Amino acid sequence: MTPEEAAEWVSRESSRCMFCGFCEAACPTLPLGPHRAYGPRGRVYLAGLAARRGELGAEGAAGIYSCLLCAACVERCPARIDIPGLVRAARMLLAEGYARAPGMVPVRVL
Amino acid sequence: MPPRASRSAVLRALREALGPGKVVEDEEIVRLYSREPEGLEAPERPWAVVFPEEPRDVSAVARLAYKLEFPIYPQGSTTSLSGSAYPLEGGVVVSMERLRRIRSVSLVDSSVWVEAGVRIDDLNLELARRGYMFPVDPASSAVATVGGAINSGAGGMRGAKYGTMRDWVLGLHAVLVDEEGTTMFLGCRTLKCRQGYDLVRLIVGSEGTLALVPDAYLKITPLPENIVTAVAFYRSLGDLMETVVDIKARGIQPYIMEFMGENSVKLAASYARAPIEAEGSMLLVSVDVNREATERVLGELSGIMGSRALRVYTARSLEEAEEKKLFQVRRGLFPAQVEHARRTLGKDRVLVIIEDIAVPPSRLVEAVELIREASERLGFSVAVGGHVGDGNLHPAIGVDPEDPEMTRRAREWFTEVMRIAIKLGGTVSAEHGIGTLKREGLRMELEANNALKALDIMRAIKRAFDPKGLLNPGKVV
Amino acid sequence: MASVRAVLEFLADSTLKTGLPVPVPMEEVYSWAIPLGLPRSGRVHLYTGALYQLMPYIERLGRYLESLEGSRSAAAILRLARALIAAPRFTRTLLSPEPQALERPRAILSRIARFLGAAGYYVAYPYEGDLYSGVLLYDMGLDDAFAEVASRVYRVLKEAGAEEIVTVDPHTTHVMRSVYPKYVDGYDLEVRNYLEVLAEAVDSGRVRLRPRVREVVIHDPCFYARYEGIIEEPRRILRAAGVEVREPRRSGRMTYCCGGPVESISPRLASKIAETRLSELREESKTVVVMCPICYANLSRANRLGLRIIDIAEAFDVEV
Ligand SMILES: Cc1cc2nc3c(=O)[nH]c(=O)nc-3n(C[C@H](O)[C@H](O)[C@H](O)COP(=O)(O)OP(=O)(O)OC[C@H]3O[C@@H](n4cnc5c(N)ncnc54)[C@H](O)[C@@H]3O)c2cc1C
Ligand code: SF4
Ligand code: SF4
Repeated sequence: MTPEEAAEWVSRESSRCMFCGFCEAACPTLPLGPHRAYGPRGRVYLAGLAARRGELGAEGAAGIYSCLLCAACVERCPARIDIPGLVRAARMLLAEGYARAPGMVPVRVL
Repeated sequence: MPPRASRSAVLRALREALGPGKVVEDEEIVRLYSREPEGLEAPERPWAVVFPEEPRDVSAVARLAYKLEFPIYPQGSTTSLSGSAYPLEGGVVVSMERLRRIRSVSLVDSSVWVEAGVRIDDLNLELARRGYMFPVDPASSAVATVGGAINSGAGGMRGAKYGTMRDWVLGLHAVLVDEEGTTMFLGCRTLKCRQGYDLVRLIVGSEGTLALVPDAYLKITPLPENIVTAVAFYRSLGDLMETVVDIKARGIQPYIMEFMGENSVKLAASYARAPIEAEGSMLLVSVDVNREATERVLGELSGIMGSRALRVYTARSLEEAEEKKLFQVRRGLFPAQVEHARRTLGKDRVLVIIEDIAVPPSRLVEAVELIREASERLGFSVAVGGHVGDGNLHPAIGVDPEDPEMTRRAREWFTEVMRIAIKLGGTVSAEHGIGTLKREGLRMELEANNALKALDIMRAIKRAFDPKGLLNPGKVV
Repeated sequence: MASVRAVLEFLADSTLKTGLPVPVPMEEVYSWAIPLGLPRSGRVHLYTGALYQLMPYIERLGRYLESLEGSRSAAAILRLARALIAAPRFTRTLLSPEPQALERPRAILSRIARFLGAAGYYVAYPYEGDLYSGVLLYDMGLDDAFAEVASRVYRVLKEAGAEEIVTVDPHTTHVMRSVYPKYVDGYDLEVRNYLEVLAEAVDSGRVRLRPRVREVVIHDPCFYARYEGIIEEPRRILRAAGVEVREPRRSGRMTYCCGGPVESISPRLASKIAETRLSELREESKTVVVMCPICYANLSRANRLGLRIIDIAEAFDVEV
């Protein structure tokens, strides 16, 4: 997949999210992080944002990089959104320079 | 009135009062607290989200809001479905998610002291270790917080037997948006309590417009000794409702009594991957029993339910019901509604609009008929389900958010369904609340009841609690 | 605060240049197989992807990089990578993993190879060709580097004559079975996991097992349970060996991550997640069985509860 194709997929897949938050109940990182970017609902939204805007801030990138890709969230999602797939694709957009992000990513733990 | 303080002055004051780690102003993160399911987006981006970690942080925010005159929006998990939790006019979101300690559990007092950000399922997990439960179980219980459930007056599957939040809150701390950020304990720690006007019940269901609630004392109850379950499918909704009447006539008081219309049943069954042959409308009934009575009650129940049904599935215990996936179809209602919307519209991205009316259970069949007619007339394919036990219906339609004409029809549908509820002697919102979406509905209902003056009284109450109108403005009244 | 980009560049650089995410002499990866005399060529290859062997290094590296604080750390990390790639022998001195941390994976791998033999599944081994699969690069979105690594790994395996590979950990299994086909043109390797092979042999009575522990609580790795659907196999094997298997609250498809995957980004987050998981596991047994070197490393590091953590390959023996 080229970054362009990936961005297109991220944008489509993330827009299926209803923002219901059911996925959050299963996420190991959310309760340890400072805010919703450390949970699947936030990550899906941020991935979409990175794809549409072509950039992501430090706090948002911390959410994307702190994901375990463990897929616990997927089991709970009524729309069966490929959450780890979105996170991985967002990392790809950042790594391949399609979306800009600051070099230092401050992963915070409460 | 003094001029409102600037954004930078407000943020500086908040950081000073709370410490920097509890104030987040990153635009991308703030967006995550500016929306709700159903596609509601804040028309104006709030300045920041604050994360109180102690009840005194909540009070500090309230005091500053009063002093510097900026609006604040308390939030749990923003699943309200009524538009009560998202911010409207800039200001500051107060997320309760870090207030998530279970402070104490007392079986002798039948109560638990919890902070607002504890999720209902997490509370129940803790209680189950001790053989107890908190029985209010909204379908969103995996995410819904105690504070959100209190403030939206939530109900759930067990509502017919256990009622809603208002029956289970003993007392709570209320933080006012005033000079001091006054914190007061309202209600009691005891089961009985006659403390003048019942301010606790006033705050329950007030949708964050009267006070911030950092923590509460909730009533708890022992887990039933055993639960038997039967699921049956009916060719017509009429047959299903006759069955409900029979169950009630026999004096059986179900623990859970849920139904789903045929549009949702098939999809939910396939989503749930349950080994159940699902067709027609579905009725799910659970009854709590003493272990010794298991066979007798289940026999009686499946007898009544089977007499008109296409087929019946039964389980002697909750474990067996889970093994046979009997609840899976009902749990699949929301996903099924989403999937139904997607298929009928042929689109990936859909808005699913979920209604929340209640009618007296005796009028349910009529209500469903009328809703189907109205939906057809407006060009929607509706998926219905709900809590038959208490007459609470959640009809849902799918809308293409990019189609302005359809969005307009959807609004009409929303109003029409509320009209049907009022006409049948019901109410426009059983458990999700008024928020921004049902303010007109509330007016319609009160008008139909010749009670428009109640709106004035509600506004006066709002002023008494929140004289500057800074707490969750634009909601309810 | 870690400079994610620098850490990623380290891993990518090293994998591209040396075939391993941390530059160490290749013997570190294959020395375990020498005493077994596994043949070099054959239709079925045991492919470890070096994850078991390298975990002690990867873990140490994460800690080491974290200790490089300051604004110049990104540049410093890259200089370090270059230096180690040029002199891989120095990595051991610099990171100095515990000798027994290096010994244990070797023992586990040789047990696995013997299990396969007992099951009548005779495997070849690619030795210098047992390169790292690049799974971490894939997870981190370094697609270009990953694609390059993947084609090389595939080519090396094919050159050794492999038509089928047997994998031994969840991440390598997943990436070889479900990801490589999307990145490598003409990919045609059959991928089996050793637990699948062994479960089948046990079911058919070809192998008899005996227990080395009485009772365990099982920790399903996410990538077996949720990505590859390997849930029943380890249970069937343990039960057949006579080990009592206890289930934690979250198991099977609903399992809870050990936290390991964020170790290189945030060791603190990783260890907090591990603590949560350990206290859940402890409710069922004092002996925890894991099936993944990342789970093993991460749970062990956070193990302040005195639990005994073992790999599934250490939980039973084959009867001869
Ligand atoms: C798929 C789905 C199914 C649902 N099913 C049900 C159901 O079966 N029954 C039901 O009743 N509801 C249901 N809901 C609606 C909703 O989930 C519940 O009302 C839930 O209790 C809201 O909790 P929350 O934490 O998300 O609150 P939020 O949505 O964040 O807040 C709800 C309201 O409470 C206020 N608030 C939140 N916390 C505080 C606090 N600490 N102090 C003061 N005010 C506060 C907010 O300002 C807002 O007005 C459902 C929602 C979804 C998405
Ligand atoms: S995959 Fe990421 S978002 Fe999903 S549960 Fe795991 S850590 Fe959370
Ligand atoms: S459960 Fe699925 S639809 Fe709901 S918020 Fe999470 S990703 Fe979005």
